[in-house]
Amino acid sequence: MQDFAYHAPPTVAEAIALFAADPEGSRYLAGGTDLFLALEHGSSAVRSVIDLKAIPGLDGIAVQPDGGHRLGALLPMDDLMRDRAIRTNYRALAESAEVVGGPPIRNRATLGGNLCNASPAADTAVPLVAFMAMAVLSSASGGRAIPVVRLWEAPGRTVLRPGELMTAIELPPPLPASASTFERLTRSAMDIALLSASAVISLNDDGTCRLVTLALGAVAPTVISIPEAGEVLRDTNCDDAALARVVKAVIETVRPIDDIRASAEYRREMAGVLAKRALARAYAIAIEPAGITR
Amino acid sequence: MKHPLSLNLNGDMAENLVEARTSLLTFIRESAGLTGTKRGCEEGECGGCAVLLDGRLVDSCLILALEAQGKTVTTVEGLGDPHHLSPVQSAFAESGASQCGFCIPGMLLATTALLDREPDPDEASIREAISGNLCRCTGYTRIVKAIQLAAKLKHDGQN
Repeated sequence: MQDFAYHAPPTVAEAIALFAADPEGSRYLAGGTDLFLALEHGSSAVRSVIDLKAIPGLDGIAVQPDGGHRLGALLPMDDLMRDRAIRTNYRALAESAEVVGGPPIRNRATLGGNLCNASPAADTAVPLVAFMAMAVLSSASGGRAIPVVRLWEAPGRTVLRPGELMTAIELPPPLPASASTFERLTRSAMDIALLSASAVISLNDDGTCRLVTLALGAVAPTVISIPEAGEVLRDTNCDDAALARVVKAVIETVRPIDDIRASAEYRREMAGVLAKRALARAYAIAIEPAGITR
Repeated sequence: MKHPLSLNLNGDMAENLVEARTSLLTFIRESAGLTGTKRGCEEGECGGCAVLLDGRLVDSCLILALEAQGKTVTTVEGLGDPHHLSPVQSAFAESGASQCGFCIPGMLLATTALLDREPDPDEASIREAISGNLCRCTGYTRIVKAIQLAAKLKHDGQN
């Protein structure tokens, strides 16, 4: 590994200014579990590493006035999966954080890092898309917030401008009479996802679906949402005929690849299976009198 | 370029000049001379290099030494010594949980972190807690038994 300059600025503004001094050669450092391997094996020359962990306030969970939750970009997976409010209100997100690596990785790997690494298999990205979360970004010219589903252009590439820094993820308030699920297929527990799915369903008073979102991971160049799930399942009881129509839409939408872990054909077939499983389970939990607290 | 680094290593201040690219693992082994922390895969897969950073289990191969500036690091040498084993170390010795021993420092720290958070873990929690630590000798059965015994020893207040 080539040596580099190391900075640990105390503010977001200083971090952005340091990055701007050498946009090509700079990298932000969050948990480091991906960056370290890139520094070791990567081809591009890194001249400046800007550690974000000295900036206060980027690693917490805050409840918003509207009941939504703001997650700091530097929130470690282990904190995310153990937080009571997240487990209760955004169950699928907690479950996705639980399967990121093993405990030593989860104590370092951050939510923002998982998203900015831009893997289509990123575990936490899938439920965040299903929850319609927003990513809060900072740059020298100010701030903006974009839907998480719009974060990525391609594997390993985000829409962030050079030096732009993700500071938080905002989750909308939990929906009444709702449930969320996360499903994942792997070769072994510690491997990255072959594919993954996350569903969020909220119900009308009569037990039919009010709002349904479905997101899929590792079946396209980026994590994707399937808007047809909401259109098809709305006002239904999530019955088999309706689910079959969603599965058809999933199979027509996905663009999986062949790789060392699975064939595109297998991924396409299983995308339908996993989507159906995520939706059916979310509906079953939401329809229970106990609701999402199960 | 070298940077001054100062951290609390097993209760003592460890200070030296380090290059930015120096990993915490390299600092512990080569600067501080504590070789209980093992250099395994160097990719965050095996847990041989696991230490506690401010009480949390981490892979020291994936952390820059400078990221530990001013923090507290506990390695296996900080748990106990041959004459004063920690309950976790005693439990591993009594259970015959170690074969080649390479993974054991990481296992001891994973166990310490688990029992600090969850004094009475069930077997599923134990297996989850060591899921980032690979052992290629034992099949894990005796390690799991050792962790169960460690929980009991800590309860009984033996040392």
